Amino acid sequence: MIGWLEIPRGWLDSFGEIGRFGLRVAGLVYSGRVFRFFGESLRQAGILIFGSALIIWAFVFILGLQCGLQGAYFIRSIGAPSQAGVFSAYCDLREGLPYAFGYILAAKVGTGIVAEIGAMRISDEVDALEVMGIQPMTFLCATRLLGAWIALPFLYLVGIVIIYVASYISVVNQVGDVSSGGYLLIFWMYQSPPDLIFSLIKGMVMATVIVLVGCYYGYTASGGPVGVGTATAKSMVFNIVAVHIIGMLGTVIFWGANPRAPIGG
Amino acid sequence: MTRGLLPVKNVFEQVGVMMILTVRTLISAVRPPYPYGEELVWQFLFVLRLSWFPLLVSTFALNLGAPGLQAAGILSLFGALDRLGGFFVVIAVRWIGPLVTAVVVAGVAGTAITADLGARKIREELDALQVLGVDPVKNLVVPRFLALMIVTGLLDIFACVMGLAAGIAAELLYHQPLGGFFATLFTNATITDLWSSVLMCTLFGAIVAVVCSYKGMSASGGAAGVGRAVNQAVVISLVAVFFFQFVVSSVLFATHPELQAIR
Repeated sequence: MIGWLEIPRGWLDSFGEIGRFGLRVAGLVYSGRVFRFFGESLRQAGILIFGSALIIWAFVFILGLQCGLQGAYFIRSIGAPSQAGVFSAYCDLREGLPYAFGYILAAKVGTGIVAEIGAMRISDEVDALEVMGIQPMTFLCATRLLGAWIALPFLYLVGIVIIYVASYISVVNQVGDVSSGGYLLIFWMYQSPPDLIFSLIKGMVMATVIVLVGCYYGYTASGGPVGVGTATAKSMVFNIVAVHIIGMLGTVIFWGANPRAPIGG
Repeated sequence: MTRGLLPVKNVFEQVGVMMILTVRTLISAVRPPYPYGEELVWQFLFVLRLSWFPLLVSTFALNLGAPGLQAAGILSLFGALDRLGGFFVVIAVRWIGPLVTAVVVAGVAGTAITADLGARKIREELDALQVLGVDPVKNLVVPRFLALMIVTGLLDIFACVMGLAAGIAAELLYHQPLGGFFATLFTNATITDLWSSVLMCTLFGAIVAVVCSYKGMSASGGAAGVGRAVNQAVVISLVAVFFFQFVVSSVLFATHPELQAIR
């Protein structure tokens, strides 16, 4: 039985290590030392936009279709097909989009960062940076965090538009139990600007954690090319669980006590 | 071919090669010499050992947050919290169970498979195997393919159980008796829900295995190569799984009208 409990124990260990590393990187951004390399931060933001935006939006689009489909059939089964907007409003904005964003960021951006920084680490480029008098943690990790904070909120907001369009397509055009106007009336009634802010906060906390985890596993990679592959795989495991736990805590904090629906007392 | 169309051509080429690998894997899985039995058992235990803890935590967290508290919040306004059981059949069993199992297995076991095969590729072990007359598809890909299919199918049941446990936790957070939850749960659950969930998840396991094996076996480019292969493998697996689930559930709902009835 010891072997099966090794994994949770190892998790607690790496959780503490990553927390300490993440706080150091966030401190470098917060204290403004990263602004010496502001150009590099902008370049990282640009890489995020050109490299990851399309895949994030495509993924979000598929999840939106799925939200609409499941919601339309569930609402039909309880005999109120005109209320399909309730399900899609909740599924799209509050839950679906943060999770889809977290999954695809972990897969595309998180593992990408590990592969990139890990390759630099094992070919001794990180040490070379230190010899040149450039602090590697600031130059490699803090700039990526700042770049993510610059670019990702906008990718997220565009993602909201895309997931709404996708749900509309599957509810109104594919299943077709409800008219366009009837769907949109209910759909807009069941959301409010604070919901948008809460959803954005959830997504950005996930993004921050994913970038920091990616930087940690890349920065501490060792053991040749194979080690980089293993570190990449490990970062993905951690990110998957972190995304789910942040999603649950966000729901409990923002909507746990008050469902924020336009009905009831 | 114009430059703008090159990424599209690249995508089609990769999908084609993965299809060929799938067919080769299926053929060598059934064609007589079966040297992969021991490896199959080892891979099965490996995937199970890596995945069980992340899977349990992930499904419980996701089901408690997304369908649990959100739906319980709105149902409590109607005073109809016992309906949460019927809702959980739709969400936890039909949708989130297979999906989260596939995401966790792709993220946990798929990445490990790509890292393992990629490491063997860049150390030129795969070429050495071929020189020795050992078929890498039969001895490396087939056991991983079968193991991942079996494991994801079985883990899906655990995902559904943990999802329902999260539903019970949501009911308890709202101080409800559990009788209503179980009553609507068991009147709405059908055998179709269960077998479609398990079958869908088995096919997700096949997709993840083929994509991750292909990316691992075609890793190249020195130090950054294996890391990049893992990155691409997990992105492609996730997009393929999400898209495949949309297609399967569209077909399933359209062909099984009993899923749409109210009970």
